[in-house]
Amino acid sequence: MRYETVMGLEVHVELATESKLFCGCSAKFGADENENVCPACAGMPGMPAVTNKKAVELGIAAAIVTNSEITRTITFDKKSYFYPDLPTGYQITQWFAPICKNGWVEVETTAGKKKINLKQIHIEEDAGKLIHEGYDTSLVDFNRTSVPLVEIVSMPDFRTAEEVVAYLEKLRSLLTFAGVSDCKMQEGSMRCDVNISVREAGSDKLGTRTEIKNMNSLKAISAAIAYESKRHIDALEIGDEVLIQETRGWNDSIGKTFSMREKETAADYRYFPNPELMPIYISDEWIDKIRVNLPEPAVEKYVRLTGELGLPEFDSGIITGSKTLSDIFDDVTKHFNKPKEAANWIITELLGIAKGSNKGEDDIQIDCVKFAKLMELVDNKTINRTIGKKLLGMVLEEGIDPAVYVAKNNLGMIADTGVINEAIRIILADNQKSVDEYKKGNQKVFDFFVGAIMRKLGGKADPKVVNELLIRQLK
Amino acid sequence: MDCYIVDFHAAELGVGAEVALEDSVMRKGLPAKAGSKILEGFIAPFDATVVTRLLDSKYNIAGRIGMNEFGLPSLISAGTNDIYDAVKAVSAGVVSYALCNDVFGVYRRRAAEEGICYLHPTYGTVSRYGLVPMACSMDQIGVACKNPDDCFGLLSVIAGNDPKDGTMYPEKSYVYSKTGKELRIGVPAAVLNQADEGTKESIRRFAAGFTSTDMELKYFDVYKQVLYILTCAEASSNLTRYDGIKFGYRASNYKNLNELYTRTRTEALGVEAKLAAIMGFMVLSQENYIPYYEKAMKIRRLIKESLRFGEYDIIVLPTKISDDSYENLSLFALAPLAGLPSLSFSFKGCGIQLVADAKNENALLTAWEGVKNEI
Ligand SMILES: [Zn+2]
Repeated sequence: MRYETVMGLEVHVELATESKLFCGCSAKFGADENENVCPACAGMPGMPAVTNKKAVELGIAAAIVTNSEITRTITFDKKSYFYPDLPTGYQITQWFAPICKNGWVEVETTAGKKKINLKQIHIEEDAGKLIHEGYDTSLVDFNRTSVPLVEIVSMPDFRTAEEVVAYLEKLRSLLTFAGVSDCKMQEGSMRCDVNISVREAGSDKLGTRTEIKNMNSLKAISAAIAYESKRHIDALEIGDEVLIQETRGWNDSIGKTFSMREKETAADYRYFPNPELMPIYISDEWIDKIRVNLPEPAVEKYVRLTGELGLPEFDSGIITGSKTLSDIFDDVTKHFNKPKEAANWIITELLGIAKGSNKGEDDIQIDCVKFAKLMELVDNKTINRTIGKKLLGMVLEEGIDPAVYVAKNNLGMIADTGVINEAIRIILADNQKSVDEYKKGNQKVFDFFVGAIMRKLGGKADPKVVNELLIRQLK
Repeated sequence: MDCYIVDFHAAELGVGAEVALEDSVMRKGLPAKAGSKILEGFIAPFDATVVTRLLDSKYNIAGRIGMNEFGLPSLISAGTNDIYDAVKAVSAGVVSYALCNDVFGVYRRRAAEEGICYLHPTYGTVSRYGLVPMACSMDQIGVACKNPDDCFGLLSVIAGNDPKDGTMYPEKSYVYSKTGKELRIGVPAAVLNQADEGTKESIRRFAAGFTSTDMELKYFDVYKQVLYILTCAEASSNLTRYDGIKFGYRASNYKNLNELYTRTRTEALGVEAKLAAIMGFMVLSQENYIPYYEKAMKIRRLIKESLRFGEYDIIVLPTKISDDSYENLSLFALAPLAGLPSLSFSFKGCGIQLVADAKNENALLTAWEGVKNEI
């Protein structure tokens, strides 16, 4: 029997606002426990909820980049249930009139292009975080409480893990480039729940559905889908397990899903419009204003880099594959007008240093003015490229000012050929045996000479000039 | 005198100590229990906007004053247990003013009965920041004092837009003054007929001082149901934050999370709060949402739309048509349901209340000025 896996995704994305959805607390990630908390988001009485306009605008931006139909009068509604990570006993979400409906996103896989349809996107507040300590103690951190999210609900249009990954990468590109979110899976600002079922190929009836949660990387998502769809098929084929509709967690270390809870069909969340949040009218003018101010999407940027700026496709692909790299590129080329050079520095040097210190490309934070100045120093031959590379690491890690550092440490390139020739003469004189070997045809010692001469000159000479002068003296 | 002021803040009681706060209006550093055991130990972390504005205008805050639990009326015990200490304190001259939240008419009725007055302002003109919420779309801080002129004076201090409350009108401040225009009083005869003879006579004599017109209050027969359904829905939701986890009362014996919730709420919520929570959960449940909550919301809109301000400036109503608290709710429902201002006081020995159009407090003031020499 042939089977088909059918999946739908619920993707939660934290909105890139300064403050929370209904109070003025900072929405930034990484603060100490309960640092970003006020009476309102701790559930205390007395602070009326007031909607963060920026969150609605980012919701509209998400609607625009996903080709969705924007709802003109939106509401914020209460979803009620008791849980310690929910300090007010209700979550404010959009149940009756979500920000948009019926969008779509085009994805590309090895099988070709495919349109993924979206049911809706709604804005809602996040819950807090429970930290379980020992057998009978749980602590709660309200930093994340009321941080604004959008939940992007797809139709059950996915058939393969590859499509799921392509969709998440596409969403990430659309949303990061539009400034909606930084979409970092590791930090939880992008989370994905997969609804999965398996049916006989060709059948139009859906099988028993499970929901998989707790995956914090694309790799984990692929693995969880593979595991879960095999579990479903095994259950259907062998019948050793009866599938039930339930929520399952993903355990990355053992590579298995596990049952978290059975779907409570009777859960009644008592949805109703929040009486203190007036419906918000979204006008054409408001949408247009957001649309015209949207930053350049990755696809358009790619066309500009390969066309107008004449960058290689490979370089353009890497730069537009990450909002962070793309922003760095835009920033440095404002101060250093050699886009090809800049792209080369970013891709070979900057990414190299980041990888060396185990940083993802989206974790790179660098002062772009200093970065540009550094490239300028190499470009106008004030310093050589080797020193430039070393200094780039220091700009990245310590934020040094390259010009000041070069002057202070006397790192300027040695241009005087007399000085270089003198160094060559000393090295050759000290290594007569190697000179003889070279003359017998051993090319390897040439690199040894260059290394020794560069060391003698404190690494500050132009290697090209050293090469030329060395060849001349060896003749 | 059987009224009491809890946690009376002696240090603040100087010359001119004059404004008492109902237990739901927050004063930083003082408990704010909203009359409920479930908020035992909770200390207000900030000042209500009304408090800040009073302090800025050099008013002295006398302290907190007892109230019905979350302002809910005592329906089960038929009104005999209503706590309206704010009215008693003003009437006894202990304080000049009390700030309260009066959705159900407890203060509007008792003020008139005790010979003082109560001004319930237009919804959205006084900030709810720092008010323990009961029903957010109807909660509105109002003023109890001996004389309506002074009520308006104090209201002008506390009213005006506050960005910390998203349901407010944009006006930064309000000036309340008598209008030169001749007032037209709308008299809903069908409602008036339910009052006793003395009240009927008082209202007739009140209306005689102005041009008056007969009018009908459409849907009056379901006012109380609509008010009770909507306030219970909202109150039930505002009460879910009291779960024993973060602040306030917590049951001492529990074996698991569920028991912590249920025991805390069972032990610390009073009977009217429990009733409101259960009613609210019911009308918001999946099967009852459309026949109860949504329907009540629709009628609320119809009630608002059925008013014909313009044909009359003020609607005059009695403050009592029945000994039954639930029946009486109808008399006080119009102002909170439609967000309208209302003034109640005693006229010719009987309680009357006036309701004006939104932000037309001046009509109330003008009406009072017109009759104040003959009360
Ligand atoms: Zn907060």
